Amino acid sequence: MSPNNENEFKGRLITAVKKEVKQVMEESVTRKFVHEESGSVTSLCAAVEACLSQGLRRRALGLFKTSSTTALLHKIAKHSKEAALISKRVQEIENADPNRRSSSSSESMTKPTLKKNASLPANPLPKYLWIRLALFEKQLAKIIDYLVSNANKYYDKDALVADPDYGSILSSLLVGPCALDYSRTKTPDHFWTDPPADELRRHQVQRHRISSGHSTPPSVRRPILNFRRSLNASSEDSITNRTTTQHLAKDYVESLHQNSRATLLFGKNNVLVLPVNADVSQPMPGYLSLHQTASGLTIKWTPNQLMNGFTDEVQDKSVYWDYALQVRLDEIVYVHCHQDSETGGTVILVGQDGVQRPPIHFPKGGHMLAFLSCIETGLLPRGRLDPPLWSQRSGTSSNKRRRPLPALSETEETTKDYVFRIADNSTHKDMLKRNELMDTHISLPPKSRVQLPSTSTSSESSTKSFSIDQNAPDSPPSICIQAVCDSMKRQIISRAFYGWLAYCRHLSTVRTHLSGLVNSKIVSGEGAADGITADKWNELCVDGVVADHQEVYRLAYFGGVAQDLRKELWPYLLGHYKFGTTTEQRVELGEETRQAYENTMSEWLAVEAIVKQKDKETQANAIAKLSSESMSGEQVPAQIQRELSNEVVFPVATSNGRKRSAPRTSLVTPGRCDPPILTCFVFKVFEDTLSDDDSDDDKPKKTRQNTIKYESDQEDGEARQVDEAHQQLKDFVHNVIVTNASVDMGNLGAEVEGVHRNNLDAVAEESSALDACMETHGLASPAMSACVSPASSNGGVYSVTLSPPRLQKNEGCLLQQELLETFGLNLHRIEKDVQRCDRNYWYFTVENLDKLRNVMCTYVWEHLDVGYMQGMCDLVAPLLVVFNDESLTYACFCHLMERMVENFPNGNAMDCHFANMRSLIQILDSEMYELMHSHGDYTHFYFCYRWFLLDFKRELVYSDVYATWEVIWAAQHVASSHFVLFLALALLETYRDIILSNCMDFTDIIKFFNEMAERHDASAVLALARDLVLQLQLLIENK
Amino acid sequence: MASRKKVLLKVIILGDSSVGKTSLMNQYVNRKFSNQYKATIGADFLTKEVTVDDRTVTMQIWDTAGQERFQSLGVAFYRGADCCVLVFDVTAPNTFKSLDSWRDEFLIQASPREPENFPFVLLGNKVDLEPRAISSKRAQQWCQMKNNIPYFETSAKEGLNVEQAFLAIAKNALAQQNSTVDLYNEFPDQIKLTNTNKPSSNGDSCAC
Repeated sequence: MSPNNENEFKGRLITAVKKEVKQVMEESVTRKFVHEESGSVTSLCAAVEACLSQGLRRRALGLFKTSSTTALLHKIAKHSKEAALISKRVQEIENADPNRRSSSSSESMTKPTLKKNASLPANPLPKYLWIRLALFEKQLAKIIDYLVSNANKYYDKDALVADPDYGSILSSLLVGPCALDYSRTKTPDHFWTDPPADELRRHQVQRHRISSGHSTPPSVRRPILNFRRSLNASSEDSITNRTTTQHLAKDYVESLHQNSRATLLFGKNNVLVLPVNADVSQPMPGYLSLHQTASGLTIKWTPNQLMNGFTDEVQDKSVYWDYALQVRLDEIVYVHCHQDSETGGTVILVGQDGVQRPPIHFPKGGHMLAFLSCIETGLLPRGRLDPPLWSQRSGTSSNKRRRPLPALSETEETTKDYVFRIADNSTHKDMLKRNELMDTHISLPPKSRVQLPSTSTSSESSTKSFSIDQNAPDSPPSICIQAVCDSMKRQIISRAFYGWLAYCRHLSTVRTHLSGLVNSKIVSGEGAADGITADKWNELCVDGVVADHQEVYRLAYFGGVAQDLRKELWPYLLGHYKFGTTTEQRVELGEETRQAYENTMSEWLAVEAIVKQKDKETQANAIAKLSSESMSGEQVPAQIQRELSNEVVFPVATSNGRKRSAPRTSLVTPGRCDPPILTCFVFKVFEDTLSDDDSDDDKPKKTRQNTIKYESDQEDGEARQVDEAHQQLKDFVHNVIVTNASVDMGNLGAEVEGVHRNNLDAVAEESSALDACMETHGLASPAMSACVSPASSNGGVYSVTLSPPRLQKNEGCLLQQELLETFGLNLHRIEKDVQRCDRNYWYFTVENLDKLRNVMCTYVWEHLDVGYMQGMCDLVAPLLVVFNDESLTYACFCHLMERMVENFPNGNAMDCHFANMRSLIQILDSEMYELMHSHGDYTHFYFCYRWFLLDFKRELVYSDVYATWEVIWAAQHVASSHFVLFLALALLETYRDIILSNCMDFTDIIKFFNEMAERHDASAVLALARDLVLQLQLLIENK
Repeated sequence: MASRKKVLLKVIILGDSSVGKTSLMNQYVNRKFSNQYKATIGADFLTKEVTVDDRTVTMQIWDTAGQERFQSLGVAFYRGADCCVLVFDVTAPNTFKSLDSWRDEFLIQASPREPENFPFVLLGNKVDLEPRAISSKRAQQWCQMKNNIPYFETSAKEGLNVEQAFLAIAKNALAQQNSTVDLYNEFPDQIKLTNTNKPSSNGDSCAC
């Protein structure tokens, strides 16, 4: 057996024990006791035996030839006092009847002295004697504990008992069953009602098997032992014998007579019943009896076959036991009487579960009436038949003259049907006294009925009822009713409690998940509906100082900002201007902002020039390639290109040869602070740009210095870090601009750009012509060097970007190149999107789109790690329209992005938004939530993606975007820092009816909202969103 | 076969930003070109009824954001796609270069049953513009390498070839859907249909 299989096997063994333990424990709970002979005890013992046998070192312990663990018990008896005790008892029992002694295992404790018969197994009677005894004596767990802790002595290494986990599990599993009390007492009733249906079915089979009787004396000690023993046991030990059955039958029949426990109220033979589970088609005659016990009335019906004693006409009577009928009257609510003048009458008992018991056919002669009469009598004083069987002629109780209902007298010719209800007098009165509320439960029977909602008549399934009844104290009726009321009271209270608990849980969920979404303090919107008007602003802004920021936020949140004031106010709302600053401070801040913006811009403009140049060349290349492709039908070998670039001389210029640019010299002197090659190119670009006129003079110098420059870079450039390189480039470019710019700063950018463009265009033409020339002719290096015009630094850029073999040696250059590429990539993206951004809006003329582009590029240059992401343009655009000022827009956009950047793919805010939306909808609109779930769960809320990414910018027209944005900005100080969620929810709620009535699925919703873009009623949505915030605040506050 | 229930074909348009995905979709569905489209954020779709081989099918054409950073969103939209349309700009070499990654990304995120047989269609858009950077030969070479993807050169602006391209897309999507349906239904006639519908836009279709 492989280890895996073995483990699995052990697992199965343990599972079996678990199952049986559960069974026993359940039995003990439902019945309040477990009988020693219960099938579940046998199965438990079997399961334990199986565990203990597995991996037992039989040979070593001298236990061969036996499959039992009894020998093991005797063995450990020397060491364990618990084992010794059990061992002693086992021996006692075995010795009590020497005939029973089994040399091997003594498994049977009550083995009848059967003649050895080939057809019968050798060990027919209860197995696992010692386990059984140990269980009853509550020592089993301790014994197994001992075995587990000394497993190495008795077990193989891989045995279950020796397993550190399984062993302890086994012993601890048995602690429960060992704590139970096992009972031996049983009544005849018990036997006939106790086994569950399937067990009985099995009995039937087994009984048939042993039909030919071996006449053996009844087992005196345990007369009924064999009858129910075989649950889950294998067939070999499931032998029951006729003797015991006979004995049982006798007992049972005796119980039908008057005895000390039950009063016989009625008895009639040859009453016909067609048992429910019988395979007979005709009603069978039998003996009907009505008994009164302390707990109530019981109707029994026993087939004649059983009543006739032990005659031999029928070989196997056991089958009839299943037909026997036993009905507790307090399970019965209605008694239907069908009268038939020819055959007598039929009584059908209907239980409170509505199930009919098999019809009882009475022979002629008033027996049915007598039976009913007995029932009525028996029911008193606790119950009665309704309507009464006997009508009272006079009202005085002393003088009762009763006569039966006319219908029930058989003299009547007509067939009459009657229905009686079994009513409970005492219950009724008690209830009335107790509580009006309880009145509705008036028909509820006393205790036992409450507990036993659907018991059937046959012995098969009324098991539990009887065991409970028998154990129930014989209490006076009022106590029973008291108990019923108490139990109902408890139920009502517990229901109320659970309702309250559920509500509390719900609220706690709300608080845990949603309390973070809104501010706990509820700010009133009183008098703020108009928002910040010019008048209000004059009040708030005293001498240019705005002190009461809370009021600003409050007004903005509840009423927005007047269009004219937006330019002034938005910087406050976005956090660019601090509250309490003076006008002068703000002007200063504005100046600083502008300065910084322009500096940054000049930096990236320089890089842009290179990128542009490179692009031109790439494009030219591609076109050349395309044309060559079309000419020769082959692709230009990549090798040619590489060769070309490798041969290119680096036309690097330094400032050394330039008198005019002395301040920069220190920065770029080769070999000292060795700015990487690109820096020099950038620098060169600027040189050329700024001093276009004298570029010709510089030609020789530049070319001369190329080699030196390159080498020095190669030496020291390798240790460069990206940041460093970036910073250097920036610093450098910055210096170039700052130190050189004699021109007006404000115009510099545009100027530089303009110059660049002219310059670059020319170069592009040049180089493309060059490329075309080279590629077509396949010319190599000399031609290249010759062709490159020294005047054009762009040739240098070209060679840098196309000569990877050399550049890879120089890490600094490589990083710089990465930077260049990164920014270039971003630049292209920005370009594409800026062109497409709101071009239908009046503001975005070419000129203003350029401003947008500048702001965007500046941001990306400063945040290259973030980079440009689609949607950013949409966020800049409204700001730019409002401010119409690049640097202010840039500053405010940076503030805006602090929150918004997390929404973009690199951040995680979007997922949070979706999760929060889910919770919000779940709590505030469960119907919508259900719909979303029912349609393939689109609670991932992707249809909100654009909403959150752009703060609803694409959903609304410009004027509404302004109004919405300022509310979102103010909201975090007034009501909620997650106001967008409530806006989203408000949008959903606005169209709730449409969504719900059309049962929109995920795609429907996406399409719907895409089509609804810019068609929403923003002010209504905003109002609803504010209202939703308030709703949640109130929900959370209402503790 | 005519009685078969209405078919919905889900088509995803992918490609770099501003290659004309939105324009192509709108040109096909609304027969209109606008130069006012903004960069697509998130995803949008349009539907169009189209008759393919005498069957009326509804095409649900999904337009997505072009920036590769937004790919992570794709999985919600790509799932259940019947055909994937790859678009590049014939004047922009980079948009052609990234086709491979678009295709791979789609296969990863949509994880179709048979990735190697999943229908793609390549559209080279903006043929109305000059200068051309990617020759049709080069595009076709790429298509051949990718298991004979049908290739169309289109102009969303002028409506050139758009109709034909989307018809091919619909056919391929339908064939794809039928083949997946076959997995469940095992109707022999459907298998036949699948075979006859197999696209053969690029000559012999030997699997290389």
